[in-house]
Amino acid sequence: MANKLKSAAAVVRTIPDGAHIALGGFAIARNVITVAHELIRQNRQELTLSQCVMGLDTDLLVGAGCVNRLMVGGGSLDRFGLVQCVNRARETGEVESLDYTSLSICFSYLAGALGISFIPIKSMIASEVLERLERGGGAEYIRRMDCPFTGEPYVLLRAIQPDVSLVHVQVADEQGNCQIHGPRWENEEQAKAAHRIILIAEEIVPTSVFQAHPARTIIPAHRVEAVIHQPYGAHPTSVYSCYDYDSEHLKLYVERARTREGANQYIDEFIRGTRDHAEYLEKVGGAAMLEKLKADPVLGY
Amino acid sequence: MEAVRTNEIMAVAGARELRDGETVVVGLGLPQVACMLARRTHAPGLTSLLEIGVVNSNPIDTPVGLADSRIFHGATCWSGFLDILGMNLHRGVVDVGFLGSLEIDRHGNINTTLLKDEITPGQSKVKYFNGSAGGNDVASLAKRVIVIMRHEKRKLPAAVSHITSPGYVGGKSRADLGLRGGGPHRIITDMAVLGFHAETREAMIVSVHPGIRVEQVRENTGFPLIAAENIPETPLPTPEDLRLLREEIDPKRVYLG
Repeated sequence: MANKLKSAAAVVRTIPDGAHIALGGFAIARNVITVAHELIRQNRQELTLSQCVMGLDTDLLVGAGCVNRLMVGGGSLDRFGLVQCVNRARETGEVESLDYTSLSICFSYLAGALGISFIPIKSMIASEVLERLERGGGAEYIRRMDCPFTGEPYVLLRAIQPDVSLVHVQVADEQGNCQIHGPRWENEEQAKAAHRIILIAEEIVPTSVFQAHPARTIIPAHRVEAVIHQPYGAHPTSVYSCYDYDSEHLKLYVERARTREGANQYIDEFIRGTRDHAEYLEKVGGAAMLEKLKADPVLGY
Repeated sequence: MEAVRTNEIMAVAGARELRDGETVVVGLGLPQVACMLARRTHAPGLTSLLEIGVVNSNPIDTPVGLADSRIFHGATCWSGFLDILGMNLHRGVVDVGFLGSLEIDRHGNINTTLLKDEITPGQSKVKYFNGSAGGNDVASLAKRVIVIMRHEKRKLPAAVSHITSPGYVGGKSRADLGLRGGGPHRIITDMAVLGFHAETREAMIVSVHPGIRVEQVRENTGFPLIAAENIPETPLPTPEDLRLLREEIDPKRVYLG
């Protein structure tokens, strides 16, 4: 069987400017930080990012000027704050933001994953979420229609099939089988809608682990193109059963990201100023800090 | 015992809106606190759903948000958006959507997307917030919607800056709007509990919290509030409510203040 292990740098070299990338994180959980950092280091441009609920990874990529379009349901850093770089870019118009809802993004991925070109939904009706999409760049993704059977009004969502889906998981094997512990938000629909699936795994385990519990395999190997093995690859966001979010570092980020200058300074210092994720982890506190974030095996955080 | 705090009155008022056996999609903060209180008191058979894919969680540490692993603890099921917002909410089996909001207007329209600062007349600067996430889906599809938020004139304007999640838009019925869910039912604030008039579908005062006058509520609302002749007081939390809130549900006072 093929060994699909690759470095983040090698994977990012295969992602062209202008690609549509679906990100697997949610607010401050399981963000694809290691690949987001590498996209910034390799200075990717004009990306489209999609996601149900944006988090730190999206905010960093937008702050670094890598993105020109978002297709998202919402976004926040939970009680740490707002996605300030994203909001600034929306306010100035630097980034075109197609603002959906969580379920409509998830349904659009589901349609993509099933290979159907559109899907009806009963939310967004009578809202300015729908009107803004129809007025702007969302027009090519949205229609209204009455059900041909019942006459009931629906919104039709065009399927989304991202070029690449990035999902941070707890365990994978070298072939690309993976398990996700804890809730999975839109990870499965999002990954299976994409043309290419890239996993970032905290731990690489033997295939026998999957054979022992096959029902727990969320994305099976035959769909997966590459696996990046990166412990603490989601830092400073959390990975259930592996480690907690880093409150101190998130506070530092939120404080810096209040201004464009501060965000740039953060990106230069922690991302462009480090060679890879290992150097980044050393810079933010190294082994001593990581040990403090390590999850209690019973609680999972 | 320590004096009752406003957030405790809000949490208890929220809990009392939930009935045993119901299914609730709940946002984080006071909605979650209210739901946990209801489950520990009159509604042990309540099912709480979190949009990210968590059923009936029993956190033992206070989470900072919906993405905090603390809120995954003690759950009976982990799934995702497709299950919770799709196969439950969109399927039509969710009784209550319990949300927070940035702004809400006289027809129960909710804004969580943006605010407009008028710089000069006709010219405004837009400031973005969190957006819909699952908010629009919940408000569109739940059988009834309860919103819990601070009572300030600017947060309860005549019309919201942006309809993220529809209530009774333009005073129309939900059926006329083409929406399946029943729409806004209660707004629970730190001053009062508001409901909606059956015919005009406008917000009205249901009860005022102890120590608050109806006039005060009106002064802090950006539109004329309808009120009956005799407005009752919101019942105070019982000693058992307070014990549960303070000792078990939010001992660090992250949400209770």
